[in-house]
Amino acid sequence: MSNKNRSPQAELGLLDATMIGMGAMIGAGIFVLTGLAAELAGPAAILVFALNGVVTAFTGLSYAELAASIPKSGGGYAFVREIFDDLSSFIMGWMLWFAYMIAGALYALGFAPNFLELLHVYGVVPAPDEVGAIVLPLVDVAVPPAFLLAFVAVLGLVGLNAVSTAASGSVETIFTIIKVSILLVFVAFGLTSAKFSGAEFQPLFPEGSGATAILPAMGLTFIAFEGYDLITTVTEEVENPRENIPKAIFLSLGATIVVYLAVVVVAVGTLGAEGLADAGEAGIATAATEFMPEPLPIIQNGGALIVFGAVFSTLTALNAVVIASSRVAFSMGREGQLLPSFGQIHHRYGTPFVAILASAVVMLGSVALPTKSAGNMSSLFFLLSFIIVNVAVIRLRRERPAMNRPYKMPFYPAPPLIGIALNLVLAGVLVEYLLRTDPLALALSVGWILLGGVAYVALNRFQTPTETAPTDTEMSPQTED
Amino acid sequence: MTNDYDVIIAGGGRVGFQTAEILVDRGHDVTVIERDENTVDDLADEWMVTVIHGDATDPGILEQAGIDRADVIAGLTGETGVNLAVCLAGSELASQVRTVARIERDVGDAYTRFVDAVLFPERAGARLAANEIVGSDVQTLSDVTGTLDILLVRVAEGAPAAGKNLSEVRFPDGTLVVSDDDGSRIARPETTLTPGRQYVVAVEPDVVEEVMNLMRG
Repeated sequence: MSNKNRSPQAELGLLDATMIGMGAMIGAGIFVLTGLAAELAGPAAILVFALNGVVTAFTGLSYAELAASIPKSGGGYAFVREIFDDLSSFIMGWMLWFAYMIAGALYALGFAPNFLELLHVYGVVPAPDEVGAIVLPLVDVAVPPAFLLAFVAVLGLVGLNAVSTAASGSVETIFTIIKVSILLVFVAFGLTSAKFSGAEFQPLFPEGSGATAILPAMGLTFIAFEGYDLITTVTEEVENPRENIPKAIFLSLGATIVVYLAVVVVAVGTLGAEGLADAGEAGIATAATEFMPEPLPIIQNGGALIVFGAVFSTLTALNAVVIASSRVAFSMGREGQLLPSFGQIHHRYGTPFVAILASAVVMLGSVALPTKSAGNMSSLFFLLSFIIVNVAVIRLRRERPAMNRPYKMPFYPAPPLIGIALNLVLAGVLVEYLLRTDPLALALSVGWILLGGVAYVALNRFQTPTETAPTDTEMSPQTED
Repeated sequence: MTNDYDVIIAGGGRVGFQTAEILVDRGHDVTVIERDENTVDDLADEWMVTVIHGDATDPGILEQAGIDRADVIAGLTGETGVNLAVCLAGSELASQVRTVARIERDVGDAYTRFVDAVLFPERAGARLAANEIVGSDVQTLSDVTGTLDILLVRVAEGAPAAGKNLSEVRFPDGTLVVSDDDGSRIARPETTLTPGRQYVVAVEPDVVEEVMNLMRG
């Protein structure tokens, strides 16, 4: 058929699609959040990652069914828009947009200490905790260097994406292979190191709090499994998508869980849960410097390789969420759920300029948050949006039974119902945990939803009077021919 | 608001399929209703549109296709009767919807009492065949090329490129603005894209959507 060449780039195989999904998941989450999870849950951090994989698998089934039957690359927002009314789909888009923006801040905050660690390994700067604040001569305030670095990283990647359309696909596969290989090196050296042979996983749960301590840790690290939303962005380029997309979702999820478990087991085994917790955002990197061989050619210190992996992963993940967040805002603009300018491509740069700039403002503001707050907020909003995606599967099955579903999940309706229940539990635990320890993050989350309500009402006011006029003029060229 | 239409196409065979593909390339939101199982699978393989498996004259199926939100419904099956029934059912269920029916025989404007527009694909095909047979230098705009789209585009008020000079606008690679406003001159860098005016644009299929965004908003 002659129109086969209408989309000449439709050449991503199952491997590429799987790599994109893994690349989105095995990004910053594992490097940044392992230390923080160990702080909350002790050696049970291993369980935290395993259980999160199980929880997220149910939503993965929903994504697979929706992505195979609704050929739109807007991710979760596009699916929900298909079946829900204006208000519900607006809320979904609004929350998903926020989740990505806060994830951007989280990755930027994870990038900074790892970058300082990399400089430290080569002796450029003193150890991270000894670096003094940088005094800005103009505003006369001392700014911590990590904050400044995170800010600059966001600014740089936003600028890059605002003025040029980034390449995707094959580049992403290479990035993912680099990231995974570095982690495999980490696991291989860790398992064989002397430190690991004396590994201590007992007591599994931290003193006092017991097994319940893993729930807030699960909430915090849930974001590490956010990735299939990104697979659905490239579906147009995947060959035989109705078979390969569901497969890619399951394969990437499975492989990711295996890699995560190996990495966390090694990190806890070598550094110990306490040491991991002390290292915070640079947990994996610190663990690596403990056992990686020292005298190596060129890179000198083997640990530097892992630190480089952390820097590289956080930066690529940051880049991915800058694109993802602006894409959600862009789709909402196209659907008339944000100002129309959000859905327009810049006339000179060919990018969704307004959508990127708006996302950048929130990201830059959120860099001031503590890393843990950013992780919690982002996870909370992903959990909430995933609940809506699961509800969308059920509604579509009930209201559109005749819709062609190339992939149907097994044991329906159990998976989406379990998915909703588990995500609700985690969201509830997270809210309760925030209430106790981090009221600021909770207040900001509620504030964002309220702001969304205001935006929704204002937008409907803005559109109602003007809507009739333009539609008349738009129709006229149609009737001419 | 945007210029993306929400379109329902009844019949995903040759005509329906090609139509859906062109509309999707231009960024419209298309749902196809198809009765035949094999055709449904073929459509699913393309991963281009949402497919509803069923009889398009069934009101329940039309509701599942989202008739209440649709801007246009097009009956593009091989049977005139089915196409007309689809259009009538569509406007009965949702009065705002624009209706287009494919017909088998050229009967003039007889059907436009029931539907907003009729089309007669065999006629268009015959015109193309005649062009090819005669081998004339003069050909209908849209029939000239293999996959290139030659479009007559009206610049929308408020679109990103509206009111800009051509030199200021970076169209994606694979785009050529051919004519000055309303087709009297060849476009030059200083040509202004005046809102409301029409321009002939040659576009490669994979960038049509971007060009539409720039010129139509």
